[in-house]
Amino acid sequence: MPAPPAHRLRFLIAVALGAVLGAVLLRGFVSDASRQVADEAQERQAVVTLQALTSLVRRAGGEGDAVRSAVAAWQSRTPSAPQARVFRADGIRLEASTAPDDAGDRAAPRRLRREEKPLYDRSQRIAAAVQTNREEQQARKPEIEVAPAGARLSLAGPLEKNGAVVGIVEIETAPLPLPKPAGWSGFLLALIAPIAVFGGLAFLLGEKRLPLLAAAVVCVAASLSWMGRAAVSELAAQQQRAAEQVAERVRDQATVTQAVATAQVLPGAAAAPGSWDVDDFRQPLGLLTPDGSVNPQRLAQAVDTAARELRRTLLGAGALALALLLLVGLGAFNLIGRSLRRHRQAYLYIAPAILGMVVLVFFPFTYGVTLSFTDSNLYNTGKAISDVWIGLRNYADILGDFAFIKRGDGGSFVNYLNFYWTLLFTIIWTVCNVTIGVVSGLILALVLNTRALALRPIYRVVLILPWAMPNYITALIWKGMFHQQFGVINQVIQLFGFPAVSWFDRPASSFLTALATNGWLSFPFMMVVSLGALQSIPADLYEAARVDGASRLQQFKAITLPSLRPALVPAVIISVVWTFNMFNIIYLVTGGEPGSSTEILVTQAYKFAFERYRYGYAAAYSTVIFGILLVYGSIQNRVSRATEA
Amino acid sequence: MPRSRISEEFPHGPLHAMLAVAVLVTIYPVLWVFSIAFSGKQSLAIADLPPTPTAGDRLRAVVPWPEKLSVSNFTSVMSDQPFARWMLNSALVAIFTTLLGVFLACTAAYAFSRFKFPGRRVGMMAFLVSQMFPGTLMLIPLYIIIVQLLGLGSSRIGLIIVYATTSIPFSVWMLKGYFDTIPKELEEAAVIEGASAGKIFWRIVLPLAKPAVAITALFSFMTAWNEFILAATFMDKENMYTAPVGLRFFVGGFSQQWGYFAAGSIIVSIPVVLLFLYLQKYLVSGLTAGGVKG
Amino acid sequence: MRTLLGIAALALAALASVPADAAEIVVWHAYRAGEKSALEKVAAAYNSSHPSTKVSTLAVPYDAFADKISAAVPRGKGPDVFIYAQDRLGGWIEAGNTVEPIDFFLDPETKARFIPTTMEAMTYKGTVYGLPLNYKCITLIYNKKLVSAPPKDSDELVAIAKKLTDKGAGRFGLAYAYSDYYYHAALQNAFGGYVFEGGAKPAINNPANVKALEYLLKWLDKDAILPAEPSTALITALFNDGKTAMIFNGPWFLGEIASNVQYGLAPLPKIKEAGDKPMRPWMTVEGAFVAAPSKNKDAAYDFIKYLTDKPAGIIMALEGRQSPANQSAYTDAKVAADPVLKSFHDQVEVAVPMPNLPEMTMVWSPATTVMNSVTRHAASPKAALDAAQAAISKDVAGLRKK
Repeated sequence: MPAPPAHRLRFLIAVALGAVLGAVLLRGFVSDASRQVADEAQERQAVVTLQALTSLVRRAGGEGDAVRSAVAAWQSRTPSAPQARVFRADGIRLEASTAPDDAGDRAAPRRLRREEKPLYDRSQRIAAAVQTNREEQQARKPEIEVAPAGARLSLAGPLEKNGAVVGIVEIETAPLPLPKPAGWSGFLLALIAPIAVFGGLAFLLGEKRLPLLAAAVVCVAASLSWMGRAAVSELAAQQQRAAEQVAERVRDQATVTQAVATAQVLPGAAAAPGSWDVDDFRQPLGLLTPDGSVNPQRLAQAVDTAARELRRTLLGAGALALALLLLVGLGAFNLIGRSLRRHRQAYLYIAPAILGMVVLVFFPFTYGVTLSFTDSNLYNTGKAISDVWIGLRNYADILGDFAFIKRGDGGSFVNYLNFYWTLLFTIIWTVCNVTIGVVSGLILALVLNTRALALRPIYRVVLILPWAMPNYITALIWKGMFHQQFGVINQVIQLFGFPAVSWFDRPASSFLTALATNGWLSFPFMMVVSLGALQSIPADLYEAARVDGASRLQQFKAITLPSLRPALVPAVIISVVWTFNMFNIIYLVTGGEPGSSTEILVTQAYKFAFERYRYGYAAAYSTVIFGILLVYGSIQNRVSRATEA
Repeated sequence: MPRSRISEEFPHGPLHAMLAVAVLVTIYPVLWVFSIAFSGKQSLAIADLPPTPTAGDRLRAVVPWPEKLSVSNFTSVMSDQPFARWMLNSALVAIFTTLLGVFLACTAAYAFSRFKFPGRRVGMMAFLVSQMFPGTLMLIPLYIIIVQLLGLGSSRIGLIIVYATTSIPFSVWMLKGYFDTIPKELEEAAVIEGASAGKIFWRIVLPLAKPAVAITALFSFMTAWNEFILAATFMDKENMYTAPVGLRFFVGGFSQQWGYFAAGSIIVSIPVVLLFLYLQKYLVSGLTAGGVKG
Repeated sequence: MRTLLGIAALALAALASVPADAAEIVVWHAYRAGEKSALEKVAAAYNSSHPSTKVSTLAVPYDAFADKISAAVPRGKGPDVFIYAQDRLGGWIEAGNTVEPIDFFLDPETKARFIPTTMEAMTYKGTVYGLPLNYKCITLIYNKKLVSAPPKDSDELVAIAKKLTDKGAGRFGLAYAYSDYYYHAALQNAFGGYVFEGGAKPAINNPANVKALEYLLKWLDKDAILPAEPSTALITALFNDGKTAMIFNGPWFLGEIASNVQYGLAPLPKIKEAGDKPMRPWMTVEGAFVAAPSKNKDAAYDFIKYLTDKPAGIIMALEGRQSPANQSAYTDAKVAADPVLKSFHDQVEVAVPMPNLPEMTMVWSPATTVMNSVTRHAASPKAALDAAQAAISKDVAGLRKK
C-alpha cells in the first residue's frame, strides 16, 4: 500500500539536512583556512625575530661575552620579549640565554644538563638538515624548526660560522593570542534562510516533485555560495593584515638590531631586513621588499592562490551538501531503509562477515589506494597526506613507461624493471601455472576416479601431501633441490652425462624452477576439486549415453566436462587470482634472479616498498595489480555467466 | 553408489604406472625433508660427493636417505626452545580461526545462495576483489588496526580475527557454490512444516554441506597454521609465538640450520596431514551436492 | 589454605625484590643458540647488579625482525633497546621516531673504548645513534697443510696460488665468492674505491672501482687461480676437500669447516698493484640502539653502555662467539688467547664500515648484475659500472623527487 506522496515534507527535510551539512562543512573549512593564515603570520613574525637575532649573534662572533651582552641587549629592546638561547655544539655548551630558568648557578655559559638532551638533539638535527640540503642541492629537510610549546612557539635555526653549522639559536615567543573565532551570524543565516525560503516556496508550489526539487537546489546553492563568497573576501582581508604585521615586525627588528649593533660596536653590515622573511628551508618568501615593506604584487598573487584553493574546497563541500539534498529529496534513503527492512534476514546473515571484511580488508585497502596518490617514501613518512599528494603521477610513471626494450652500446636488451615486462611475465606465469594445475589435477582425478582401482586411497593421500605442507617449507626445499652444486636435479642430470645447469643464471631456467615448485604445490587443489565433482556425476548418465552409442570422447565432452564446470570455474578464478599474487614462491625460490627478470608484479611492488623505500609508488603498483585482476574478474564473470545461459 | 564409468574399460596397468610417477614426483621432496631431518646434520646435502663423483656416487646423492640416522635434530628442536608451547599457541589460534571463519562464512554464503537482495552481486564480487589487493603491503595498516586501535598485540585473539577474516572470501565462494547445488525443495518442505529459517539452516542445510564445510575448515585451519610474518610482528612475548615463527628461527640471518628446519617442518606438518587424512572422505566426496539427489 | 598463603607470600617476595619504580627495559634481538644465551647472561648480570632496572629480552626471527621494528617502534609499541646491524640504520633515522640519537649521552671515555671504525658505522650525518656491539668481516682463511706461511701481499698470494692450482684436477689456489659484491668490496677498497661520494651521491662507476674490477679479471683470467661460478656451497666443498688452499670468508664460515681440516686465519694480503695497500673488507657492525619512543631512555642507555663494556664484551666473545667492538675486551687473557677472535681483531684494523645510508639497499641488485656480467665477460668493467650507476641514480632520484 503506497503512502500518499509527501514530497514537500521530504524536500523540506532534505533542504534542512543539505543546509546543515553545507554550513557546517563550510564553516569548518573557512575557520581552518583562517586559522592557517593566522598561524602562518605568527610563525613568520617569529622567524623574522629569530633571523634578526641570529644575524646579531653572528656579528658578535658567535661565542663569548660579546654574544651574551648582544643577546641581553636585544632582549631588553625587543617589545614582544621572547626568550632566547644560543647553543654551541662544540663542548655541548649553552652560550647565552635570557630564559628565567637559566639564572644563578644555571646561568650561561655552561655545559648542558642531562635533561636538556632535546636541545642538543635539535642542534644535531638542524646541522644534519643543513648538510643534507647542501649535499643534495635541494630543500628537503627543514633548517628552521618550529614547534608549538603550549601557547608559545619554539623556534630554532642554525648558527653558522664560515659556512659550517656550529650551533643553534633558539627563541621561545611570548604566549600567542588565541585566534578570534569567526562570528556565528553568517553561519546561522546560511542555515535558516534556505529552510525558511524553501518552506515558503513549498507552500506555494504544492506537491509537485520537479519544481520542488529545483526550488530546493536553488535555495541551498544560493545560501552556500553567499556564505562562501563572504568567507573568501574575509580571508583576503586577513591575509593583507597578516602581511602588514610581518612587515611591521621586520621594521621593528631592523631598528632593534641596528641599535644593539651600534651600542655593542659589532662589526659587519646589517643584511637587508626584508630577507629575514624566509620559509623553513631559509629560502626567501619574497612577499616583502628588501627594506621590509609589503610587496603588493606578490601579496596579490599569494592572496589569489589562497582564494582559489579555498574556493575549490568550498565548491567540493557545496557539492557534497547538494548530493545529500538530492539523495534525501529523491528518496534514496527511503529506498535503502525499505530494502534493509525487507531483507532483514539476509543482511543479518552476512553482517558479521562483512563487518570483519570492512575493518580488516577494506580499511587497509583504502589506506593503500590513498597512499598510491602520494609520493610517500622513507624521507617523508611523518608528513601529512596533503603535503605529499601528487595525484596520478605514480600511475603515469608506471603505466606511461613503454621503454620495454632498451638500446645500449652492447645491443638492445629487455628492461626487466619495466612494468609491461613484469606484467607480461606475470601473465605467462599465471597462465602456465593454472594450466599445469588444471591439466595435471584433472588427469589425476580422472585416473583416480577409475572404479575398483587398487591402492586408490593410498594414492589419494600421497597426492594430497603437497597441499598439506606449509608452502614456505616446500619453497625452500625446492630451491635447495635446484642448487647448482648439491641440488638433486643437477645430480640426476649429471647421472645421465649432461653438465650441471646453474638454474638461477638465465631467466628461462630460473622461471622453470619457480614453475616446477608452484606446479607441485598447486595440482592437489585442482585434483581434489575435480575429483569431488566427478564423483557427484550420476552413473546412469553415462549408462544412457552408452546406450545412445556415444563414444568415450563424446561422453567426456557431453557429460564429464559440463558436470565439472560448476566446481572448476570458481576454483580456476580463485587460483588465477592467487597465482597472480603468489608472493612466497617467487620471493623464496628465484628471488627475482637473474637481474629482476623473474619478478612478478607483487614481488616487484614489495621491492619498491622495502628495498627502494618508495611507499607511494609501491602502493600505486599494488593498485594497478588490483585493477588488472578486477578487470579479469569481471570479464571472467560475464563470460561464464554468458556460457551458462 | 553413483560412479562415473568413463575409464572403466581402461586396463589398470598404465594407470598404475602413471600414478606411480605422480606419486614419485610428489613424495620425493617430502622424503628429502625427512632425510635432512633425520641426518642429524644441518646441511642441505645429505651425502658428501667425492672429488670425482662416479655414477654410483651421484646415484647415492640422489637417494633421499641419510648417511647416518639420528633423531638429534628433533630432540634439539623440542628442547632448545619452547617449541611445544608454540605448537599449542598455533593449535589454539588455528582451531578458533577455523570455528570463527567457518561460522561467518557459512552464514554469509547461505544468505548469498538463498536470498535475493540488493547488493548480493556486489557483495560476492567484493569478497573476490578482496583477494586481489596484494597482501604484502597490508602489514602496517593491519598493525595499526589490531595492535594500536584494538590493543590486541601479543594476544591470540588478534591473530584469530585477522586469520579468520583472511580466510572468509575463499570460504564464502566455495560454500556458496556448494549451497547452490543443494535442492531448494528440501527447505521448502521444511518451511511448510513450520520450521524457522535458523532451524532450516542448522538442521538441514549444514549437515548436507559437510564436504564443503570440511574444505573451508581445512583452508581456514591452514591459513592460521602456516602464517608467519603477522604472528612474528604482533607477538611481543616469546611464549606467545606460533610454530611457524619458531621455525623461522632456523633459517634466515647468517646461519641456516637446515636440519632443525626440516625436523621442525615435519613436526609442524603432522597435525595438518592428520587433519587431511581425517577429512579425506569429505574432500573427495564432492564439491557439489548433486550426489544427494541420486 | 596454607599453600595459598605460601603462594601469596612468594608473590609478595617477588614483588618486593623489584622496587616499585623499577624501570623496565625490553631488549629485542635476532640471536639464537650461543649468542642468545650469552646475551641473556649479560642481561641477568645487569639485573643483579642494578636492582632499580629490570632488563628482559625477546628473540625475533631474523626474517621478520626489520619489519617488526619498522612497524612497532615508530608507533611506540616497541622495545626500549634493539640490536641490529648498521645497514638499516640510515633508513630508520630517515623514517623518524625509531632510533634515538645518543651522542649527547656519550662521554669521551665511552667513545674511546670502541674500535674507531665501528663507531663510524653507528654515526649518521654527524650524529651517533648507537653503541657498537660487535663486527663481522671477511679475512683470509687457509689450509695449514697446503700453505705454510700465509701470503702478505698479492705477489706472494698469486705465486702460492698458481703453484696450487690445477684446473684439470679441480684444484684452485684461491677461492672466494668474488662475484658477490660484498666480498669484492675488499679489493675495491684496496684501490680506494667507494659507492657514494659527497654524502649520498651514487658514484659506483668511479675509476678506482673500474681498476678493482680489472684487477679481479687479472686473477681470474691471467693468473687463473680462481674457480668459475664461485657459489658459497662450492667454496665450502673445495675447502673441506682440501682442493683449495686459501679462501676469503667471515666468521660465519668457521662452523662449516670440516673437523679434519687444519685451518689458520690471517689478514687479507696487500695489493701491489694498488700501491701496496691492504685489501680492506667491508664490515657489518651490530649496534645496540635506544628506541626513540622509549620511556626509560636513561636506563636504556645505561644498559647498552653496560652491554658494550669490557666484562659483557668478554662474555659475548667467549660464549656468543662474537668479535666485540670494545677494544679492551681483547686485553682479556682468554680472548687474547683465542686465535679466531685475535685474527678478526687484526683484520678489522683495515676494515671499512659498510655504508649505513638508506640508499645502499638500491645498490645491491645493480652491483650483483655488474659482478655477474663482468666475471662472465659479458661486459667490460667500465660499461657494467656505468649501467649500474644509471640504475642506482634513477632509484635514488625517485626517492628524492619532491
